[in-house]
Amino acid sequence: MKDKMQSEMPLYEKLNILSDAAKYDVSCTSSGVDRQNDGTGIGNCRKAGICHSFSADGRCISLLKILFTNECIYDCKYCINRSSNDVVRASFTPDEVCDLTMEFYRRNYIEGLFLSSGILKSPDYTMELIYATLYKLRRERNFQGYIHVKAIPGADQRLIQMTGYLADRMSVNMELPTAESLRLLAPHKSRKNILTPMRFVQEKSKENRQEITLYRNVPRFVPAGQSTQMIVGATPETDYQILHVTESLYKKFGLKRVFFSAFVPVNEDKALPSIRDQGPPLLREHRLYQADWLLRFYHFEADELLDEENPNFNVLLDPKCCWALKHLDVFPVEINRADYRTLLRVPGIGYKSAGRIVKARRMGTLRFEDLKKMGVVLKRALYFITCEGKTMYPVRLDEDYITRNLLNTKERLPEGVDGMTYRQISLFDDVNFGSGTVVF
Amino acid sequence: MRQIYICTDTVTGLCSALHDAWKENRDNDAGIEIRGKTQQQLFCEYRTVAECEQKALRLERMIKRHMGYNTYWDIYHALLADDGEKGTAVFKTMQASRDIRDSHKIMDHLSHPDVAKVFALSRSVSNEAHMYEEFIRFRELENGILFSEITPKAQVLTCVADHFADRFPLENWMIYDRTHQVFLVHRAREEWGLVWGETLDHEAAGKVSDKEREYERLWRGFFESISIKERENPRCQQNHLPLRYRPHMTEMTQTCIKPEIRL
Repeated sequence: MKDKMQSEMPLYEKLNILSDAAKYDVSCTSSGVDRQNDGTGIGNCRKAGICHSFSADGRCISLLKILFTNECIYDCKYCINRSSNDVVRASFTPDEVCDLTMEFYRRNYIEGLFLSSGILKSPDYTMELIYATLYKLRRERNFQGYIHVKAIPGADQRLIQMTGYLADRMSVNMELPTAESLRLLAPHKSRKNILTPMRFVQEKSKENRQEITLYRNVPRFVPAGQSTQMIVGATPETDYQILHVTESLYKKFGLKRVFFSAFVPVNEDKALPSIRDQGPPLLREHRLYQADWLLRFYHFEADELLDEENPNFNVLLDPKCCWALKHLDVFPVEINRADYRTLLRVPGIGYKSAGRIVKARRMGTLRFEDLKKMGVVLKRALYFITCEGKTMYPVRLDEDYITRNLLNTKERLPEGVDGMTYRQISLFDDVNFGSGTVVF
Repeated sequence: MRQIYICTDTVTGLCSALHDAWKENRDNDAGIEIRGKTQQQLFCEYRTVAECEQKALRLERMIKRHMGYNTYWDIYHALLADDGEKGTAVFKTMQASRDIRDSHKIMDHLSHPDVAKVFALSRSVSNEAHMYEEFIRFRELENGILFSEITPKAQVLTCVADHFADRFPLENWMIYDRTHQVFLVHRAREEWGLVWGETLDHEAAGKVSDKEREYERLWRGFFESISIKERENPRCQQNHLPLRYRPHMTEMTQTCIKPEIRL
């Protein structure tokens, strides 16, 4: 497998090729596990995770995100490393990966290693190589930082299990939300093949949790849980379908995170949509992440946010605002009395500020100035809340009126706040009579 | 007459001032100001505080006992902030804590203006400290020491020390806070400590090891290749990684030795 050209390729070039090949993997979190250094090695982990840098596309760089190899026997249509593409191929050796991780980590460049791989020869063979690398890093170099590793679909369960004891987080990529799309774009992967290792990791960690309660020093199996990712925009699924899949992954497979990646066309293929001139659907991805947050931290359900008739998110407003505008009957909410769950549903109030409000109002009544200091985004919240029975300004609880004001991206006070409900029309004003309403 | 206590801008200084203020004026209006940053006011009496470790420790114990560890954490972080009013805000927070039923919960009382101030200061300092945990870049010097230089607004060194001491217990490392001229020094297998009053030897700090140049080059290459061109978004990048952190970051500068930033 290692021909001469490759073994002589300098490390700098290899790193460039194999990080470039890994960049379409979204997940780069280092969260979910708290671990102190035991005094004999290097590294520790923080529950919340630490980002170390931000690349030019604004995504965080937390882990050394590389492929072990980009030689792949599969031919997935959307992937830059598919076997039918003519790209420079390279492979690391386990020692090179260890050196890079250790030296970058010492300089506080990274929080740990993210190791993925193309399928070299067979899934089992690839998984073995990944295991060998992790073993070297954890046991020989005594690295105690974060390791995120891909479980290769189709690899032997014993290999996945052994790797799981060395890694912090494991992930199997869903790639596409439905089985038909998968058959179309990734002919060598099947839904069953992907879900089997996912279920295996879930059951193993459940078992492991029980063992830990019995024996404190038992080794941890994937302590930071597992995650997955889906490509958005390569196939005609609606947001509603994607969100449903996400929700059931959280509920049935106990995943920690589901990531979305806006489809970036790297290959020309007749099975792929041609969106070269529009660019990747970044806004759609953003709305999906916002909805994902609502599912995980705000007690929302997928069916509340979208339904069969409105299967896609509004481009102009975030999902929480949309929900609030459809349910004006529950608003306005009295800040000094509403329960925590109701506060969570108010646009502009996050789970942190909701917690602060609940604590602070035990000590005294809250006013709008206090809310501002706590971190509430008043320019969104003011239409939906009252303090001591009063709204901040005289606002109307009317869908069109609120929509119009929320759409003003620049922070602007609602019309008529200063007591003037009329104004002089001039010839050059863009008043937008009648067109101010947005049709949902 | 309103009593105003003058102290230096250190935790020991501020705690000593708080200690004296609490001892003499806990029921009256008093202020705490920092030497060199005071603005003379009418109807005030100014006094310089005799600073000592004992007073600071006594105050720390008192706060922990009566207001709880979490409140102490907030107050400690607030005292590190770059703000002239911080001492007075903490003093008034301590006074306010006597008026509520459970003094341990004083930091929840955010509708009180001074508590809100302490909360805001503590939040901004701990946020900045967290940023430095992310963005500090070490370089390996010829003698194997990992060295880093930062220019923070608040005195964040003690906030990041435990994190790095836990992370690199077997390394000799050092962080230099250029704004406040303080070193944070950690010897392998030992506890960390702060060093005041030394100057940085620029020549020694500029001599990096050979391996260092190679890894810096690798890191810069990685930083370039990991970004997706179709998604480029400099504003998003700047939101997460403000410009003021960049001069000391390896991937944001082109040379091995960091440029001199004179204050």
